[in-house]
Amino acid sequence: MHDWREYDQNPVSHSAAHHLVAIAELFDEYGYARVSDVARLLGITRGSVSVTLKGLKGKGLVTEDDRRFLGLSDEGERIARGVMAKKQVLKGLFMDLLGVSEEQADLDTCKIEHLVSDETAARVGRALLFLRSGSENATRFIEGLREFGRQGDAEGFPSEEVQELAREIARETEEPEGSR
Amino acid sequence: MSESAFTREEAIGRLNELYAEEIEAALRYLHLAVTLKGLDRLMIRKVLLDNLEETMEHAQLVGEKIVQMGAAPTLKIQLNLPPERGNGADALRTALVVERAALDAYRELLERVEGGGDVVLEEFARAQVALESQHVSELELLLED
Repeated sequence: MHDWREYDQNPVSHSAAHHLVAIAELFDEYGYARVSDVARLLGITRGSVSVTLKGLKGKGLVTEDDRRFLGLSDEGERIARGVMAKKQVLKGLFMDLLGVSEEQADLDTCKIEHLVSDETAARVGRALLFLRSGSENATRFIEGLREFGRQGDAEGFPSEEVQELAREIARETEEPEGSR
Repeated sequence: MSESAFTREEAIGRLNELYAEEIEAALRYLHLAVTLKGLDRLMIRKVLLDNLEETMEHAQLVGEKIVQMGAAPTLKIQLNLPPERGNGADALRTALVVERAALDAYRELLERVEGGGDVVLEEFARAQVALESQHVSELELLLED
C-alpha cells in the first residue's frame, strides 16, 4: 500500500517544522529568538526565514512583538515540542539499538522527525526505555542484535547490503512457517 | 550572539551572509516577476525587474567588498519556490518581507562595525542601509491602500 499522500496531511511542512523547532531551541538556550538567530541556526538567509515565518504567522503558529522578537503560539509550541520529542526518541533508538553514529542519527532523524506518527513515536519511546532499563532481557537483546548485525557499507543509494537484506527479509516473510 | 570584538573573519562571514541574501532576493524577484498573473504584469512586473537589477548590483558590491578584504565570496543559498502564480500585491508583500530582512542584516552589520576603526566597511554598511531603507519605503508606498 502506498501512503505517500499522507505526507501532505501533516500540519506543517519539513521546512516549517525546522523553523518552529529552531525558535523553541533558541528560546531554551538564550531566552529569545530573532530572525537573524533562526537564519544562522538553520544556515539559510534571513530572507528565506522571513518568508517562511510570514506563512507561519498567518497560520497563527509564530508571533512577533514590537521589538521584532519571535515567539511561538500555544499551537506552534505544541508542534515544535512534539517534533523535538520525536527526534529525541528516534535518535536514541538509532544510536542505542542500531549503533548508528550521533552525526548520522541526527541527519536521519531530521528527515522523519516531523512525519512519524504519535503512535509509532510513543512505541519507539517505550522500546527505548526498555533498552535503557539495564535489565537482563534488554542487555541480551542488544548484544544478540549487535552480534547478528554486520558492518554495512552505506556507499551508493541504497547500498548493496541494504538491498540484499531487504531480499532476505522478503524471502523469510514469504516462506511458509513450517518450512523454517 | 555575544558582543565580542568585530574581527576580519566575522566581517567576511557577515558579508557572505549578505551576498547570499542579495542573490537569493534577486532570484525571488525574477520568480515573482515571471509568475505574475493578469493585468499586474503591465506595471508590477517592471517594478520587480528593476528591483532584481538593483539587487544584483548590491550582490556585486558585496562580493567585490569581500574580495577587497582579501577573501573570496562563498555562496550558500537554498531556495525552493513553489509552482504558484500570484497577483501584484502578493508579490510586493513578499518583496517587502525580503527587503526588510536585507535592511535588518545591513543594520546589524553597521551596528557591529560602527566605531570599530574600519571606516571603509562602516561607510559601505551605512550606504547600504540607506539604499535598502529606500527600497523598503518604496514598496511600503506601493502597498498603501
